[in-house]
Amino acid sequence: MALASVFLRGLRGGLDAGLELPEAVARSAAELPRGTRERAGAAMRRLAGDYQEDEWGFDADFVEAVEPFFDFLYDRWWRVKTTGVENVPAHGRALLAANHAGIMPWDATMMSIGLMREHPLPRQPRFLVLDWAFDLPYVSVAIRRMGGVVASPHNAVRLLESDQLVAVFPEGVKGTGKPYAERYRLQRFGRGGFVEIALRTGAPIVPVAVVGSEEIYPKLGEAPLLARALGAPYFPLTPTFPWLGPLGAVPLPSKWRIEFCNPIETASLGSDAAEDRALVLELSERMRDIIQRKVLENVVARGSAFL
Amino acid sequence: MGAALARRLQAHPDFDYVAGLDARRPQQPLEGVDFIEADIRNPVIATLIPQAEVDTVVHNQIIRRPTPGMSSRSMHDINVIGSLQLLTACERSPDISSIVIRGSAGIYGSEPHAPQFFDEEMARLYPLRSRFQRDVGEIENLFETYARRHPDTVCTMLRYQPAIGPTLETQVTRYLSAPLVPTYLGFDPRMQFVHEEDALDALVAAVRRPVRGAVNVAGPGSIGLTRMIRTAGRPSVPVAGPLFATVATAMRRVGLPELSEDFRRLLRYGRAVDTERLTDEVGFTPRYETPAAVQDYVRRRSGGRVPGSLSGMRV
Repeated sequence: MALASVFLRGLRGGLDAGLELPEAVARSAAELPRGTRERAGAAMRRLAGDYQEDEWGFDADFVEAVEPFFDFLYDRWWRVKTTGVENVPAHGRALLAANHAGIMPWDATMMSIGLMREHPLPRQPRFLVLDWAFDLPYVSVAIRRMGGVVASPHNAVRLLESDQLVAVFPEGVKGTGKPYAERYRLQRFGRGGFVEIALRTGAPIVPVAVVGSEEIYPKLGEAPLLARALGAPYFPLTPTFPWLGPLGAVPLPSKWRIEFCNPIETASLGSDAAEDRALVLELSERMRDIIQRKVLENVVARGSAFL
Repeated sequence: MGAALARRLQAHPDFDYVAGLDARRPQQPLEGVDFIEADIRNPVIATLIPQAEVDTVVHNQIIRRPTPGMSSRSMHDINVIGSLQLLTACERSPDISSIVIRGSAGIYGSEPHAPQFFDEEMARLYPLRSRFQRDVGEIENLFETYARRHPDTVCTMLRYQPAIGPTLETQVTRYLSAPLVPTYLGFDPRMQFVHEEDALDALVAAVRRPVRGAVNVAGPGSIGLTRMIRTAGRPSVPVAGPLFATVATAMRRVGLPELSEDFRRLLRYGRAVDTERLTDEVGFTPRYETPAAVQDYVRRRSGGRVPGSLSGMRV
């Protein structure tokens, strides 16, 4: 408030002295502290359309702006402990395959915050998001700006071919929609599409085990009629949602662990291996076993779910 | 566009004879270009085209949006029946070695779940929703049948993204110059355009080196609708999805251009295409990537204002 009054007093003074408006704004802005000036400048540039997004809609400024919120979730709310980041290649293409839970893609954001914090040469992973989210107002915009893309094999291949780090959740909606009683039991890995993509592009697969995401929205039941009316894959009923309205969407403060495991190299198999159904299914099943084992290890290591 | 293309081809050393065909004479006479005055819907072109003894036919007149006063029925006639008549005329001309059609990337549609970049194989991923899409689909079918029946003729279908540029007046430029620009509340689609100069050059390149099948034409990359509107310095008004069509119609009374069904879907879900085939096989690399095309349009439209520059206002 004090800053605003300094600014307005300066502006008034400048206008009284007979300056044009832009010049008066510039003069009085010069008296503000440096940090405020930079933030104001960034906001002005943004409003003028002078900012960078890549061809996928990833927006580094946006990610930086929302970072404090995710930092809070990472440090205080979920007290995330991330291990094994050295298993994520610093350069070149790589596919992260993780277990999925928790209705909203909080696990994807926590994985990327963990990587950005702990990795010696961090880079922002791009994640494949279930396609129905892209029909939702606001949600679709935020997801895209933070590096999410529609879960389609074409997108994954294109991202990997441009040497990006791509995160996938092979369980898909089956993972997020399972009831609380089945927590940490990995679902079927689809038809192994992610392995096919890794083989075709020669990208190593890094299995990732995420623990804690299962407790944030304990799903007790479903309302299939509502889901059909909204066109959503399912409509979850949790102890808080939808009873508390928007408050029910606040995730519970469970304790999290994320482990990046040893990468599985695929380049030596050659891109033709992508056509080999038996190999694809076998690799996919092996991935599932590794992630399942690591998930259970971390559940034990975590101890109590909330404290 | 047609006249500019004829002039460009006429000036090019690789081509020694150029003829234009249109229902109206060009406003300025075209030097060195023979002009055939005929309606593309009229079967008489089947006798006129063989007489010209050309080896390449360029179909450049697919209407993307009915002009005021044109019924969608007559748009359909020009687009589909016109293409049919043209292909029939080509069938009767033994000299023809290649046909190039300026089609539309509208055939891919605008879908929330679509891949970010359509390649040429993905034309039939989604149902054709609008009348224009169905027209384009029908033209592509006619063209594919023709290509199958005449394996000696090289048939190129160029799938153009919407063009943008300072001298063009299209649905996009009209949208961007509206007093208030309506957007879908909570959506920021990825848009992609082709610069008007690249649009012309790509067509010339395809005439010089025609390839079989479909080729996407667009400025590489994409731009978010929000960033595009801000770059253009336009005030925008977000409208909730279910009300959008009603509001857009109401705003027409206060000077907003008509937004077609295709364009409304584009504003909601966006669309971008992959241009690898254009670069690798036709051998043409667009000079303007999509963000650069938008910036060039804004700069030259508004007479020198560099988008986003805050020179003179040092904050």
